[in-house]
Formats: sequence, structure tokens, C-alpha cells
Amino acid sequence: MIKKILFWLVTLLVLFIVIVPLLWIYLTAFKSQTDIFSTNLRSMVIFKPTLQNFRALFGDYPFWPNLLNTAIVSVLGTVVTMAVSLLAAYSFARWNTGGGDLLFMTVSTRMFPMAVAAIPHFIFFKILGLLDTHFGLMLLYVFFNMSFATFLLYGFFNEVPKEVEQAAMIDGYGRMEIFRKIVFPLIKPGLAVTSVFCLIWMWNEFFFAFLFTRSQARTVNVLISSFWGGLQVQYGLMAGGAAITIMPTLLAAWFMQRYIIRGLTFGAVKG
Amino acid sequence: MSSQPLPRKPTIWETLTNEKNFKWTLLIPLLLLLAIFMLYPLLYSFYFSFHDWGMQGAPTFSGLNNFRQLVNDRGFLLAFGRTLEVLVICIAVEILLGLALAMMWNREFPGQNVVRGLALLPLLVAPLILSLLWNFMMDFDFGMFNQILQAVGLRKVYWWAPKMALYTICAITIWQWLPFSVFVLLAGLKGLPKDVFEAAKVDGARGWYTFRRLTLPMLTPLIMIIIVLRSMWLIRLFDPLFGTTRGGVNTELLDWITYRTAFVMFDIGYGSAMAIVSWAFTMILCMLMFRQLMKALKPKE
Repeated sequence: MIKKILFWLVTLLVLFIVIVPLLWIYLTAFKSQTDIFSTNLRSMVIFKPTLQNFRALFGDYPFWPNLLNTAIVSVLGTVVTMAVSLLAAYSFARWNTGGGDLLFMTVSTRMFPMAVAAIPHFIFFKILGLLDTHFGLMLLYVFFNMSFATFLLYGFFNEVPKEVEQAAMIDGYGRMEIFRKIVFPLIKPGLAVTSVFCLIWMWNEFFFAFLFTRSQARTVNVLISSFWGGLQVQYGLMAGGAAITIMPTLLAAWFMQRYIIRGLTFGAVKG
Repeated sequence: MSSQPLPRKPTIWETLTNEKNFKWTLLIPLLLLLAIFMLYPLLYSFYFSFHDWGMQGAPTFSGLNNFRQLVNDRGFLLAFGRTLEVLVICIAVEILLGLALAMMWNREFPGQNVVRGLALLPLLVAPLILSLLWNFMMDFDFGMFNQILQAVGLRKVYWWAPKMALYTICAITIWQWLPFSVFVLLAGLKGLPKDVFEAAKVDGARGWYTFRRLTLPMLTPLIMIIIVLRSMWLIRLFDPLFGTTRGGVNTELLDWITYRTAFVMFDIGYGSAMAIVSWAFTMILCMLMFRQLMKALKPKE
């Protein structure tokens, strides 16, 4: 009994700590400037809700176009990343291609300071005319996400027993057929988890979007960061923008929790 | 194997997908991206780390000057030390708390999907949005935290004080990344073979003993994966600083000082040297861990 009370006490405490900041975004989004800066404790939760932040976002700022840019880049980027990583991870898992070193190289792409990597990329993109384009930003996102995606998928592929493939080979299947008809269906849950991870991280990415997009391909996070001005911070607009932008994320969390606990073991735990 | 009566030249597709080449064919897109986006900036930075260049005029060769300057640069060394501090604090807390929560939630309980869904949330919210939000909530005067503290009758805390700010950064990083450890370990616990644990129970093994002798050893490869991935990401910590301290009040980390040198002060040569040093450090650290990891993963094949 005491154990049970303790369990729920800890669980509720954890959930409280998780939810409060997120709830704060939604509360702030509906507050007027005076309520936001009020130091009256009561007005933290009890206030006259207003839509002025949202009205300003949609009316005075290109919120929808920027949100659309984010969506385009992250969806396309995820598709391309998955295509690249799926093939590579299969090769790493099945043939141990490059003896682990190549896999390490792939994983290590995240180890170089982005701020410095951005300079040569910037020059390179400028020459090719890729600055401030969806395609350019997407390419960068593919590169930055393929390391983790490949590593995740590598784990999922490792869990597919080799015997299944060998049996199919004896039955006269070709390599491509085995991949398409036998291996692919088996790692579908892994594919789902990995793509949602990529999707979310591309959706959330800020630094490269901030450096590489200006107007045409500007993502919504860059717009939100622009409310953090030098003189004053427009918390209402910031929270309003964030409230909408994080909504897909909330949905994804619901979808992902089942898949993650069922499968995200990087192939490191074998039952 | 019956040989063809008339040997013909195989098509490109056949060459690419034959037994010998197929594994490399699968890697072509990845290797291409690696060459363009990794090798090129690396060589570029390597080149400029031996030069002085301020983005204007021609770069002048300066030999090892940048690196010599780096060794004596107090700001850089401090940033390096702080990064290590953040690394140790965050990983230790994430692993310990993560393990505890994963053990706790590794059972059937009412509302488990809701609890887990909510617990996963911090991992999925944009770090930039969060950093702006924390800055707002932890403001000294009108921040939510201090208002509550005051209402309860406690003293207001200056969250962004020079002595405090680094730990505040740690706290918000842990808030965001704890779910990663929890969920990976939870998945690991779910994947453990049940029969071993039943056997242990039959033999009368106690909870702590089972945990130390069975659960922990079996989770070790997974814990190592978490440590490798988190080290890699933590050394590159950047977003939480952007909306909060911007590298001020003793929170300048490795990536921020590199960013400031290369992108704000346009000292490409010196910034490149910083990048090369911190990259080499990350590589060596992770390579050592990765070797161990691969060893731990292998025997189970």
C-alpha cells in the first residue's frame, strides 16, 4: 500500500514538473501584455483571455508561410533521410561494412561544432545559390539527422535474425527482393520510430535555419526567435507562436511512447 | 551453379547488386553526403586553423600560432572545463534518475499510456522555444518560479546569477533529455528475457541482488549507448544558451565560444582552431567509448 502511494506520488510529481512549463506556454499565449508582466500571483492563472497575440501573429507576421516552410523542409527531409539511412543501416547491420569504423564515422558527424561547419557550408551554398531555399536547408537536415537515423535503424536491423534471410535466399529470392519483401516488413515499427524522431528534430531545428534562411524559406522557429528583440521581449507573440508550433509534437508524443518502449533498444538487449 | 553458355557483360544494375558489391551500393548515398558535408568542412577548418583570416583579404599562413594562443586562452580553457562539468552532471543525473524512473514504470498500471506520453514530451519540444520559455519563467522579477517562491514565503532566487546560471542550464538540459534515458532504459527492461528473472525468483534471489547481478549487467550496453550519444550531444550544447544567458554569466560553453569567435567576431582562423581541438577531443572520447560499446554488442550476435 505504501509502495503504491509512493509510486503515484513520484509519478505525479514527475508529470507536474513536465507539464508546468508547457502549460505556461498556453497560458501566456492567451494573456495580454499587462497580464504577462503582472507580479500578482492570482493573475498567473486567473486572467481575461485574449486572442490578440494570435491575431497579431496571423495578421502582422508571416506565421503561416513560415510554418509551411518548416513543414515542407521537415517532411521532405525525413523522407530523404530515411531512404539514405535505411540502405546504409542495412549494409552496416548485415555485412558489418567497414568493420565498425565507417559506422563510427557516420555517428561522428554530430561531433563537429556546427558553428564552424556552417561557414564552409555557407560559402558553398552561396556559390550554388542554395541559400534561403527549402532544398538547401533540407540537405543540411538530412546530413545532420542521418547519423542518428542510421544508428537507430542499425539496431533494428540487428534484431532481424540472419536465418530468415538465409532461408529466403535458399528459396531463390534475390537481394532486392529479400530486402523489400522480408526485411522491410519486419523493421516497420523501427522505421516509424526513426522517422518520427527525424521529423521532430527537423521541425525543431533552429541554428541552421537561423543562419541559412532569411525570408523565402524562413522557418517558424526563426520567426519565434525574432520576438526576442534587443530592447524588449514580446513574450505573448512568442508563446502564441510556440503554442501552435509544438502541437504536432504533442501528437507525436502520444504516438511514439508505445513504439519506443516496444522497440528502441538499439539492438543492445537480446531476449 | 550452371554457367551461362554465352558470357555477356553484366549491366550496371547487375554489377551494383551482385553479392560482392551490394553492401557498398547501399552505402553510396550516405558516403556521398559524408564527403560533401563532413569531409569538406573538416578539411576547410583544418586549413584555416593554420591561417589568420578575418573573412576579408587573403588568409595569411600563421603556422601553429592559433593553437599556441588557444592553450593560453583563459576563456577557452574555462569553456572547456564548464563543458566537462555539464557533461558529468547531466549524464550522471540522467542515468541515475532515468534508471529509477524506468524501473518504476516498468509495470502495468492504470493510465500508463497517458503517463508515458506526457513523460516523453520534453524530449520533443523545440530546444529553442524551451530556452526562451525558461528565461521567461526564471526571470528574477516577474518569472513564475520566483513569484511562487515569494508567495510561499521563501526568498527569490537569482537563477541567472554568475554562480548559479551554469547549474540552471544543467537543470533545463536534464529536464529536456531525461525522457531519452527513461524511455531507452524502459525499452531495454521490456526486452529482457523473462525466464532468467523467474529462475532467480525461484532460487529466492532478493530484489537488490537481482538488480545488481541480472538487470544491471544486461542493461550495461544500453547505458553505454546513452552515455556515448549524450556525451556527443552535450559537448555540442548550444540551443539552451541561445534564449537564456547567451554565453554570459559564466555559462560560455565550448560551442558558444567557437560560435562567438567564428561567427560574431569573424576570426575564422582562430575559430577553426577551436573547432578542430574540440572536434578531436570529442572524437577521441567517443571513439574510446564506441570501441567498448561494439565489444559489448558483439558476443550476443
